[in-house]
Amino acid sequence: MEVLRLPLSASQKGKLISAGYTSIASLSSVSPSHLALDLKVSETEALEILKCVSEGSRLQSTSSSLTIVNGAQSAWDMLQEEETCVHITTSCADLDNILGGGISCKEVTEIGGVPGIEFNLQLMFRYHMITVELEARQFISIQKGPKACEVKMMQPKDFLENISYFRVCSYTEQIALTNYLDKFITEHKDVKVVIIDSITFHFRQDFDDMALRTRVLGGMALNLMKLARKFGVAVVVLNQVTTKFSDGAFHLALALGDSWSHSSTNRIILHWNGNERYAYIDKSPSLRSASAPYSVTPKGIRNSNSNKKRIKHI
Amino acid sequence: LSTVEDFLVHDVHKLVASAEQLSNSDGLKQGINQLLSIVETCHQPWMNGLVLLEDREQNKHCLSTGCKSLDVLLQGGLREGHVTELVGPSSSGKTQVCFQVASNVAMKLGGVVYLDSGNSFSPTRIKQIVTRISGSAENQVNGILQQALRNIECHAVFDIYALLNVLHQLQLNLESQAGYKVRLIIIDSISSLIAPILGGNNAQGHALMVSVGYLLKKLADRQNIAVVVSNLIFYSCW
Repeated sequence: MEVLRLPLSASQKGKLISAGYTSIASLSSVSPSHLALDLKVSETEALEILKCVSEGSRLQSTSSSLTIVNGAQSAWDMLQEEETCVHITTSCADLDNILGGGISCKEVTEIGGVPGIEFNLQLMFRYHMITVELEARQFISIQKGPKACEVKMMQPKDFLENISYFRVCSYTEQIALTNYLDKFITEHKDVKVVIIDSITFHFRQDFDDMALRTRVLGGMALNLMKLARKFGVAVVVLNQVTTKFSDGAFHLALALGDSWSHSSTNRIILHWNGNERYAYIDKSPSLRSASAPYSVTPKGIRNSNSNKKRIKHI
Repeated sequence: LSTVEDFLVHDVHKLVASAEQLSNSDGLKQGINQLLSIVETCHQPWMNGLVLLEDREQNKHCLSTGCKSLDVLLQGGLREGHVTELVGPSSSGKTQVCFQVASNVAMKLGGVVYLDSGNSFSPTRIKQIVTRISGSAENQVNGILQQALRNIECHAVFDIYALLNVLHQLQLNLESQAGYKVRLIIIDSISSLIAPILGGNNAQGHALMVSVGYLLKKLADRQNIAVVVSNLIFYSCW
């Protein structure tokens, strides 16, 4: 009874069986109008049933494809692809080293830090490919752009033209925009980086229903993951810190709690250590835990000029 | 009698007796026998303890995780037919355990299906683990590496419906294909797929979660597969 295994509704299957169609072969040669008459359904419904059948038989005949699940890839193919994957550099060699070349595409990287740690704008200006930025906080200083361009000796105008900027003012706008990004990136095929600064801003104040917040954040995280995977873009999400009370002491943790901490592929925490800024890899499936110093100069983010040049592996 | 429900509700013996009283009852008896045989295939067969024990000894083996202490904890390893849940806070190593188990099974035992909901599947990391397990030098490991990596299939799922789709496909394909043997299914992480649908106005969330659980257990039991899902712990929201 092959018909029973087709993904059709129970009533449709019942009609097929009572009309005598029990195997897929019997359905492969019948026309939609004939089927519609036999089953006493509309012709569009008969067409849909036949489409389902042909898809099912196509899936079975492509047993030459190695994967048992449609759309899956073997790890070997993924390894070959990964070797050609682009990394987005952060202009700071130490940081790039611990990141394995830079921020990887197809992943969602979360960067969080205390106020005063400036990281967001550098990524935008480093690459002259199109970047998309969602700005939630109050300021953005485009004037850093011309100075950063001096390094590459390109026209500031070229840089700024490649940046698409969206300003969001509420959490619903933020969710709507993440949904819209799919369409946007399909139209603008050379988007390479999506930066969201900062993702937590609209969710921290005035949000009464915590359960709703967790659900909404979870849905948004999945959307971003899907975007990163589907279009091969690097999604960078910036976060704020808050204090957490555990073991009798306060310490800093990223905002939005533990439920959000599972929503990114990689997590980098920026912090002060004495007089230096440090970036520390907090979570990653493939990178070792390490920390590297960096400094903020008028030209953007660069290697730090301290005596301690060695990267600390933890 | 016009529906299956009517058939099931009636006493079969009385039906057969009344059928014999009619003339031309052969067709009806054949119909009844056919229906009974179909009904038999729909439910799980009754098994006694001995049959269950035999099934467990012959079919439901333990898959070694590659890590001795984990194997000791699990009394041999991940048992086929069981769904094992890995729970822990963020960065506790759940994904790494999944990689380790996947590499070990892919190298030695059979096919692995890895369903990834957080873009965290890293072929480079798997390559590192396989290299270490095989114990041979970096440049000699290529053949083993290729074989092991070809045994792992990775599919990205980003919502619960995609997951259900994949599980249904697996069910269909595993029943028909005899050659390729899947030994392990890993879902990392299942909580990120279920969290957005639970609670609130969505009445179906709980039902969807239960269906996923049911499908996983059915796949595990019928096809002698070990299933590993990873879940997260979180404390109250800040």
